Amino acid sequence: MGERFPLRLVIGLAVAIALDTALQLVWKTGVAALPETSSLWETIVAVARAPIFVLVAALMAAQLVNWLKVLDHADLSYAKPFTSLGYVTVCILSVLWLGERVAPLQIVGIIIVVTGVWCVSMTPRATLPPREAGE
Amino acid sequence: MTATAFGVLLVVVSTVIEGFGQIFLKKSALEFARRRFWILCGVSVLIVEVLLYSGALRFLAVSTAFPLTSLSFVMVTLLSKWLLGEHVTPLRWFGVGLILVGTSLIVAEA
Repeated sequence: MGERFPLRLVIGLAVAIALDTALQLVWKTGVAALPETSSLWETIVAVARAPIFVLVAALMAAQLVNWLKVLDHADLSYAKPFTSLGYVTVCILSVLWLGERVAPLQIVGIIIVVTGVWCVSMTPRATLPPREAGE
Repeated sequence: MTATAFGVLLVVVSTVIEGFGQIFLKKSALEFARRRFWILCGVSVLIVEVLLYSGALRFLAVSTAFPLTSLSFVMVTLLSKWLLGEHVTPLRWFGVGLILVGTSLIVAEA
């Protein structure tokens, strides 16, 4: 923690990953339930009418509020890569909750993503001193 | 253009749009006096991205579309460097490269 990883930033990134995970799972469920059509406009209308997309919108709103807080404390090119851990959590949740089997290549992928995020976390978090106003 | 190619194009365009949406949101943190303006720009652009990506899923299997979305990590890093002047170290580029490969493996096998 400390200077390199302020607690506020760590919590913000953790919440971003959690919300991303929930968003991906709900969004996938919603899209899978849409009627078959090749028309973009019909797809948009179907999205507007499906109740599950209200939950998608709520999760996106929460994600936005949290993400703006994160961006107050770190470079975009520093913070954004951490959200890739959402792919890892979705994969793990699919195994734990849905009983899906994890392929060997997925395990390799998880290790590579975590290594990539570790590399990014070792770089300076802000090009300019983060704005601390309002704290 | 085949339906698949059109779907791929929609996803790639949506990752570019995601990049610009994220830039606008970061601008809201950098230019506090115009915070609402930049947030509005960012949200508007991200709504377009949501519609495009949802549309793309009508032409592509999720197993094809989802790995492509990891391109957004590269787009965001490139645009952060070019438009925001962020200092992207070689180690950060290496990390982003690993993330691109890793996320593709995870979702391609899903």
